[in-house]
Amino acid sequence: MKTLAMAANTFREAIRDRILYLLLAFAILMIGSSRLLSLLTVGAEEKIVKDIGLASISLFGVATAIFVGVGLVFKEIEKRTVYTLVSKPIGRSQFILGKYLGLVMVLAVNVAVMTFFFFALLLAKGWMDAGLTSAVVLIFVELLLVTAIAILFSSFSTPILSSLFTVTFYIIGHLSWGLLLLAEKVEGEAARFVCKLLYQLLPNLEALNVKGLVVHGRDVPLDQVLFASLYGVSYTVIVLVVSVIIFRRRDFL
Amino acid sequence: MSGGRLLLPLGLVAAMASASWSWSQLERARSAAPSASQVLYLPSGKYLKVTAMGHPEVMADLIYIWSIQYYSNYEAVDRFKYLDHIYSQVISELDPHYIDPYLIGAMIMSIESGDHEMALKLLDKGIGANPDEWILAFDAGFLCYDKLRDYPRAAGYFEKALRSTDAPNVIRRLHAEMYNKMGDKRTSLEYWTQVYDEAETDYVRDVAWRHVHDLRIEVDLESLRQAIGAYTRARGTPPLNLEALVKAGLVSKVPLDPEGSPYAYDRRTGEVRSQSRFKLRRKASA
Repeated sequence: MKTLAMAANTFREAIRDRILYLLLAFAILMIGSSRLLSLLTVGAEEKIVKDIGLASISLFGVATAIFVGVGLVFKEIEKRTVYTLVSKPIGRSQFILGKYLGLVMVLAVNVAVMTFFFFALLLAKGWMDAGLTSAVVLIFVELLLVTAIAILFSSFSTPILSSLFTVTFYIIGHLSWGLLLLAEKVEGEAARFVCKLLYQLLPNLEALNVKGLVVHGRDVPLDQVLFASLYGVSYTVIVLVVSVIIFRRRDFL
Repeated sequence: MSGGRLLLPLGLVAAMASASWSWSQLERARSAAPSASQVLYLPSGKYLKVTAMGHPEVMADLIYIWSIQYYSNYEAVDRFKYLDHIYSQVISELDPHYIDPYLIGAMIMSIESGDHEMALKLLDKGIGANPDEWILAFDAGFLCYDKLRDYPRAAGYFEKALRSTDAPNVIRRLHAEMYNKMGDKRTSLEYWTQVYDEAETDYVRDVAWRHVHDLRIEVDLESLRQAIGAYTRARGTPPLNLEALVKAGLVSKVPLDPEGSPYAYDRRTGEVRSQSRFKLRRKASA
């Protein structure tokens, strides 16, 4: 209950920060791009509009997760409101989870509204394909994970450093497959082992990326979506647990 | 108005004028430079993919849109120098399932640059990555047929296109006709007969019938001429009539043409011909 109250408060705070203006930007981008592209391209208009739509949902979401997420905990510490909170009968895990869930609610609204605009445009053009839903679902799972990482860094670092770390995490998450290539090239068993270990430990955000498949109308098996979602959610839980452990060890007095 | 207050708008106007002048100079300098320099440093799609951060398909879209603008400019120097690189090495590497760049790239390579083999190489890459997309094999087949007059190769591509369940019926007709073009009348007749038997519209049935009609005559005449030749070589004189060929075991029966008329035979010259007219334009010797 306390966690939910924290979450609701975080949600209201984000709305007050006019975060939903992003949605307006998204709608303009979507409508504008579909008009503009018909002038610039030869064929492929449908594919390009779908690509831009999915990429925008993903990038606007990641931007929100990072730039709002990194300030959530730090702001409470800097404004010293955290003193009031920790002196009340609220567990630190509830504090972290409340902040996290509040931001997830913001992201859920963002993704839902952006998807609504996106699908409405596709329906109007006659390009709607139900397969796109699995890409949107996995984008949301990716946002869950990126938000958790932002909260993790926010629990012990400054917003600037936290955003830098989270962006780095996002980049590594999309390039972790390179470690397998590296493992084939490096000499020595130990180096190969390290590469493979890092590949297993680091998050694989490409596992949550089916955008390239769905825009071409290719089927993404349901079990792939489910396993990818389970992977993302499990990784998110791990990161949140680590965040709580770090936050519990912090001394505010 | 004091001097201090005037300074700000004057400074603004001066800065705007300076920006405008420098921009026009920059544009002039850029237009004087070889336009191919725009693509000189475009790395391979394999490397660009790394920088795409999970959005290689958007990067492919942007480079494709840029390529359309680039190749719409007919004044560019070295216009075709990086054609293979842009379409085969960059866009198709970033998004191997992106069909339009294969088609448009091949069109520019073939029609504008005149490099048909480069176009076929690009289409082969597309077919490899998208075996279900009949349009790529169809495009390659049509290029071999129309530009290269390489009918066996065209037939091979049309056959690949026909493996897709979505392939339109017109490809079956082109496929059948390629065998006629390469001189294999019997195989062509076999495929045209299939088209005729499975035709779903009157138009297709009518087109197929004309081909079957003429090919049937050509195949029959070829068989009869071969049999007459063999008969003449063995007996020193042409047969009295076509039934003599059956008796000699050279043909199983004397065929009638597709309209049910017998083939006309001149026993003095040993010549055989059809009494029915060809439906399509054929060589006079046939």
